[in-house]
Amino acid sequence: MIRIAWRSLTAHKLRTILTTLAILLGVAMICGTYVLSDQIDRGFKNIFTDAYKGIDVAVTRKAKFSGEMTGATAGLPESTIAQVRGVNGVAEAYGFVTGTGAVAVNGKVVSTGGSPTLFFSYAPSDISNTTYVQGGPPTAPGEVSIIQKLATDQKLHLGSVIDVIAPGGSDKARVVGVFTFGAESSLGGSLIVDTTLADAQRWFDMPGSVSEIDVKAVPGVPPDTLAPRVRAALPAYADVKTGAQAAIDQTKQLSDAIGSFLRPMLLSFGGIAVLVGAFIIFNAFSMTVAQRRRELALLRALGASRRQVLLTITCEALAMGVLASLLGILAGLAIAAGILRLFAAAQIDIPHSGLVLAPRTVIVALAVGILVTLLSAVIPSLRATRVPPMAALQEGAVLPPSRLARFTPYLAVVLALLGALGIVAGMYGPGSASSRLGVIAFGAVFVFVAVAMVSRYVIKPLAGLLGWPLQKLAPVSGRLARDNSMRNPARTAATASALMIGLGVVVFVAVFAQGLKSSFIDSFDRSVRADFVVQGQSYLPLPSDTASRLQGVAGVQTAAGVEAQQAQIAKKTTAVYGVDPYTFPRIWKFDWVKGGSDALLGKLGTNGAIVEEQTAASLGTGIGKTIDVVTVDGKQAKLKVIGLYRETSMMNGVIVSDAGYTALFAKPQLFTVYVKGDPGVGMAQTEASLKAALVAVPTADLQTAQQYKDGIVKQVNQILNLLYGLLAMSVIISLFGIVNTLVLAVFERTREIGLTRAIGMSRRQVRATVRYESVITSIIGAIMGIVVGIVFAWVVTTRFAGQGITFSIPGGQLVAFLIVGVIVGVIAAILPARRAARIDILEAIHYE
Amino acid sequence: MSEMTENTRQPGAAAAATTCEEGTTIGLDDAVVQARGVTKLYGQGDACVHALAGVDIDLRRGAYTAVMGPSGSGKSTLMHILAGLDRPSAGNVWIDGLEITGLKERALTQLRRDKIGFIFQTFNLLATLTAAENIVLPLTIAGRKGDAAWVEELVATVGLGDRLGHKPAELSGGQQQRVAVARALASRPAVLFADEPTGNLDSHTGEEVLQLLRHSSDKLGQTIVMVTHDAHAATYADRIVFLKDGVIAHDCGRLGRDEIYDVIKSLEDAG
Ligand SMILES: Nc1ncnc2c1ncn2[C@@H]1O[C@H](COP(=O)(O)OP(=O)(O)O)[C@@H](O)[C@H]1O
Ligand SMILES: [Mg+2]
Repeated sequence: MIRIAWRSLTAHKLRTILTTLAILLGVAMICGTYVLSDQIDRGFKNIFTDAYKGIDVAVTRKAKFSGEMTGATAGLPESTIAQVRGVNGVAEAYGFVTGTGAVAVNGKVVSTGGSPTLFFSYAPSDISNTTYVQGGPPTAPGEVSIIQKLATDQKLHLGSVIDVIAPGGSDKARVVGVFTFGAESSLGGSLIVDTTLADAQRWFDMPGSVSEIDVKAVPGVPPDTLAPRVRAALPAYADVKTGAQAAIDQTKQLSDAIGSFLRPMLLSFGGIAVLVGAFIIFNAFSMTVAQRRRELALLRALGASRRQVLLTITCEALAMGVLASLLGILAGLAIAAGILRLFAAAQIDIPHSGLVLAPRTVIVALAVGILVTLLSAVIPSLRATRVPPMAALQEGAVLPPSRLARFTPYLAVVLALLGALGIVAGMYGPGSASSRLGVIAFGAVFVFVAVAMVSRYVIKPLAGLLGWPLQKLAPVSGRLARDNSMRNPARTAATASALMIGLGVVVFVAVFAQGLKSSFIDSFDRSVRADFVVQGQSYLPLPSDTASRLQGVAGVQTAAGVEAQQAQIAKKTTAVYGVDPYTFPRIWKFDWVKGGSDALLGKLGTNGAIVEEQTAASLGTGIGKTIDVVTVDGKQAKLKVIGLYRETSMMNGVIVSDAGYTALFAKPQLFTVYVKGDPGVGMAQTEASLKAALVAVPTADLQTAQQYKDGIVKQVNQILNLLYGLLAMSVIISLFGIVNTLVLAVFERTREIGLTRAIGMSRRQVRATVRYESVITSIIGAIMGIVVGIVFAWVVTTRFAGQGITFSIPGGQLVAFLIVGVIVGVIAAILPARRAARIDILEAIHYE
Repeated sequence: MSEMTENTRQPGAAAAATTCEEGTTIGLDDAVVQARGVTKLYGQGDACVHALAGVDIDLRRGAYTAVMGPSGSGKSTLMHILAGLDRPSAGNVWIDGLEITGLKERALTQLRRDKIGFIFQTFNLLATLTAAENIVLPLTIAGRKGDAAWVEELVATVGLGDRLGHKPAELSGGQQQRVAVARALASRPAVLFADEPTGNLDSHTGEEVLQLLRHSSDKLGQTIVMVTHDAHAATYADRIVFLKDGVIAHDCGRLGRDEIYDVIKSLEDAG
């Protein structure tokens, strides 16, 4: 039986290769994702393991929660260092301030490709991992030492002056030393700058505090023993860990920040590719079974049991799955290396180690590849067992329709309902975001399968409709193509469905992004009255005095800053914005709820808050009520809600006065300054003045309102293009499916093609017939994909209406996707069409 | 074997020329198909088969010729070569004055469109097209409209009536072959080639197809070459060419069924 399976695989080489490729690519994407994220994890791990080498215990301030905008904690009072030194078993303890900023050379910010520029205050200690190669550590204010990479790249040497840009302001600093850092090779684009403690405290708004205290134990005292002792000696807000644990935790925190986005995203696109691959396998095996009907019947007639027939087909699937998975793992390694290469080309420099092929990666890849192949082949295999021995003798006997065929529409409805239920449950139900996303994904898969199951009923009308213009274009080829695509609606449907999935997700993403873009622009146009927007590059906060600095610039009517941090309100991580009650309403048009007015801002004081309507609803609060706020440092405060406004896109959270913000948070985090120009002064002139004023703040990006909007749209488009790139894989896989189907169709129609050639059809016409059939199939797939994608997007945008995302259809792009469908069809047809055209007339008409 | 073929050919052809009035193999002035020294070899070395071992033949315009011979005698091979579906190993073929041996693929396609009609034993029709659509298929393929009167005449000739809108699967074997005849006539080919057109039909429906072919010859002046091993079918032809071992063993005018059996018998005896 195994030999028969092998024969069958080699007999249809092209189909075997294409089908194997279809599953291989999905496996490769999944494997590549794991390899890549493991490399990044390992990269961070190397950095932090090195950073904590020789450190037995590390003390930081406990973070109450973590979020994207939580910012650094207030740190520990300097006096804590002495407390730590007093603990029995501590040989040495030193505190330092650390933070993220930027460095500018000759007024230009040094690019790090998305990695941070880290500042550390230098503490004289023998447990540091920096090794000086030139000069020494900074000792006086205004002195810094820099990592060798920075010195080399920017041609800096001892005595060079650089700009240090930090949340607390920007300053000139002189290079007094150059050092190397342990795991430099895996640092990615990260830069390290050492400063004095006083400077660091000033630059990172931590007067009298340190970010961390590192401890070395007396020889013979193990870290696990020392850590509890230190903990006992310090206040509750101190977070005491062994150095090893700190390295692990920091690695986890950073790689989670990247991994929580990168890994699920790449995995889900891998998953889509696998799903498309599953359709191809299902179709390929259905065709194999149909084609080998007589052979299978003969086996049965010769006494093979149903089980044995099942076994041959299953063996075939197994062989294919194993081969595809193994090759997929290799391809995955290549994909990971390729993505890093791409990142490098795009100047994204993420820390990473060399190739990592974890056992988990191999196991997952093998399991996915083999299981999906086997599962997809189950139904065709079962059908194979239903070939009656009699079929060996009958000419042209057809496979008995599956016992389940009758129930297909009902089954599809049940699946669709289950899928819809999953999607709704995922969107509105309880549970963590990732588990809900999982439920939504499963729901979507169910819906896709259901649509695929019923799609055979739309093949005839759609093919008829699409064939009509083709027939006008090419009377014979168009007509035959149209007829041929309707001949086996189930097969055409399954083939088109594979394309539907890939394009469906593409359309979903496109529609969703369109909603995102248009709602952002609407919101900006509605609310923002500013002419210019100033933000920090790479999401760095601006120096806190930027707004007041710009207010004095000639031609500026109003400059208003927005500070932002996350806090926990009613256990929900919520954005808190700090604004100047006087200037902010001049650049911001509030959409007040129920009688609110700009006058409310003046009444904010230090403990008043105005809350976005949707946020208020989700926090369960309202006008006159009090909300409990917990900051990342664990500071608690009560704020009184005095007004509600609507603005879900840009200021979705809680607004407090700048005084209230300062009272609440240890550090300013000025993200945006809106500037309104004096109408009496020309915009260009004001812009030039602003530019001049911002020379001292190299990280500041000055944009006109239009540039700012364009920039956001561009960012969304960039992400969109990345997603399209990832989804292209699924579309390519579905292309293989079309090739498979067409090759079989051409083979089945050998005789017919021979006849038409004999009565005068040219090779070109034969090729066109195959090509049109292919295009009809692919457009059907594209249309189904577009419909399903739009419906998905509509459902999901209704869920996010609260976040201001509107439902908006990008018409031009949909046309582009249809064209993609046509192109896929044309490409898929190349090889089968060539085969069809090469058919020898004589052989064809003698062909049994 | 091939030596024996050489020996038997000359006397056989000579005998035919003397016994039959119409049986002039070559040298006609209004020949629409001409073949000279056509041979066809299959395989190589020891396994080499002479499917055709030197055939010279002219077909008069408007003539209805039957090609007979035992199975494996080279009838189909000859027909394929005359029709430009196959290339001879040696020799030349002209259709309507145009030498077709050595024509490029494109020119051969054009030739099939303009000059040649085919009827095969089975599978003559495209399953997805109706009978009417099948009839005009050669015109559609060639991108010609075809004059309506002619198409009407064809349709009338086939005599399918209301079944014209049906798909081939809904037609009987005889009806299908009649549609095939009409289809082959549609482009008014210089020659109509038919390979065992009644081979798959019972005698009654076969009769209808044969009459239709005869009618095309008489009323439309259609040149027809029909390969058959059925003596009854051959009685409809104006001329009968007997093949044996890849050569023309006998070539004569119209014969009755019994006379055909006599020729077959004499050829068998000669072998
Ligand atoms: N494609 C082929 N390959 C090898 N031999 C062939 C091929 N086609 C025909 N022949 C041989 O050529 C001879 C003539 O065949 P054919 O013309 O089909 O005879 P007929 O039609 O009279 O039965 C036979 O011996 C046959 O076996
Ligand atoms: Mg034959």
